[in-house]
Amino acid sequence: MAEIQVLILGLLLGGVYALMASGLTLLFGVMRVVNLAHAAFIVLAAFCSFYLWEFAGIDPLISIVLIMPSFFVLGMVLYRVLFPRIEGTPRFTEMTVLMTFGLAFVAEGLMARFFGGIFRSASPPYARDAIILGDYYVPTGQLLASTASLVLLLGLWAFLKFTRTGYGVRATMQNRDAAQIVGVDVRRVSTISFGIGMAMAGAAGALVSFLFPFFPARHWQWIAILLSLIVLGGMGSLKGAVVGALLLAVVSSFVSHTLGPVWAPITFFGALFLILLVRPQGLFGKKARV
Amino acid sequence: MPLLAVQGLKAGYGVGPDILADVSIDVEAGRTYCVIGPNGAGKSTLLKTVAGIVKPRDGVITFDGASVGGLRPDQILRAGICFVPQDRTLFPQMSVRENLVMGGYLIRDRHRLNERLELVFEMFPRLAERSAQMAQTMSGGEQQLLALGRALMIEPKLMMIDEPSLGLAPRVTSQIFDVIRSLSRDLGITVLLIEQNVKKGLEVSDWAFVLDLGTKRFEGPAGEILDDPRIRDLYLGKLADRGGS
Repeated sequence: MAEIQVLILGLLLGGVYALMASGLTLLFGVMRVVNLAHAAFIVLAAFCSFYLWEFAGIDPLISIVLIMPSFFVLGMVLYRVLFPRIEGTPRFTEMTVLMTFGLAFVAEGLMARFFGGIFRSASPPYARDAIILGDYYVPTGQLLASTASLVLLLGLWAFLKFTRTGYGVRATMQNRDAAQIVGVDVRRVSTISFGIGMAMAGAAGALVSFLFPFFPARHWQWIAILLSLIVLGGMGSLKGAVVGALLLAVVSSFVSHTLGPVWAPITFFGALFLILLVRPQGLFGKKARV
Repeated sequence: MPLLAVQGLKAGYGVGPDILADVSIDVEAGRTYCVIGPNGAGKSTLLKTVAGIVKPRDGVITFDGASVGGLRPDQILRAGICFVPQDRTLFPQMSVRENLVMGGYLIRDRHRLNERLELVFEMFPRLAERSAQMAQTMSGGEQQLLALGRALMIEPKLMMIDEPSLGLAPRVTSQIFDVIRSLSRDLGITVLLIEQNVKKGLEVSDWAFVLDLGTKRFEGPAGEILDDPRIRDLYLGKLADRGGS
């Protein structure tokens, strides 16, 4: 049954996509920020992880422990430096699209300058291994990456569900004005959320470093995929991002299997058109408030 | 010394003009005040500025002896001023109980939080019955009750309520006003109220401020203000001038 093999690979891919998308959807949910530079920071983290592996022998999975806190701080600093001047403007979300578009170019340019524009990939031993289960094989690297994604997403969920700051973040996602009224410091919550979004991008980058070959401009392709799957799930919904990621990864794996790999990217944009026509708020999204 | 003293307050939105040009009011502890005035007078902006949601451009706001002008909304709430805005702004996808718990976001002591929660449920048995219901599925009157209950979670000294009767049926409005009356009578909370239904608003109040075009025109005892000839000129007269039938 080749279909089951395709399903296994699709689900493993979806787990990583979910992690890649989680920070993006969180930022939109909390702050109405569309961060087009999100994937550029995933690539940046992938480079960090790659160099840590090449020059210090630090396993990409271990490098998460170093990259996440650094990216958390980087995110908070970026937020405090870049966003205060556009906060409170009437077209805030549109402004964030323009600003993060610029940020993506800057990040890409700097990476090309310092890391070069050629394909890179970290190669820890498990990256080329596979576990054989009867007729099927499970690539070890992808299994480890999906497991790590699952652990991190559960961690994020538990943080949102059970901590006081998490309550503040969720309240801000549901109704920013109401959150302010009950005493949530939305500025602080936004700063922390930006840090968390960036930390998730950092972790995703570490996994990407051994899963896919990457180069500085690769992020345009990824951000397109990530945006399409969070639009499918409902922008701002974490659950939606996970479901959208698994769904589209599986479907694209089947498209790739039956029609050929060149058709796989079509899945994401086909789904994007379809969802915007049929259910613009996405699977788990809220209808826009009037 | 008044509980809340506002002096020469100037405020507006973004880069727009001043909505509040120069407002000064004194609010004494334990009484209920009503702010009245035509649309666009700056009533809501006054409340939002005191709550810290709109930043003051000039002027002084003192509460309980400390300056609170320009502080963040959470700092002002911590000082004891809570705000129930016009559209109630609940958390639509949280239950009644979760909304109330969010109202006590500033209370870090779990035990104390539960105490307040029980107290609010005792005051509003209706909310206790519906504690598991999603806020967005409730009727307008129940949502208003929830907004008031949520504000009571932190034991406020001053409650600012913006148009509690908006969109409610007359019978429900009366219930809400009974609750507002009991805030000051039973709990000793100072109330600053905006109400389009001027008669109703003045009925529950001790004192009224009349605002127009961003300044306070005059003030007086709530029971007498409707008979003031200046009200006719400024408020009812203007309404007629503005094309009302």
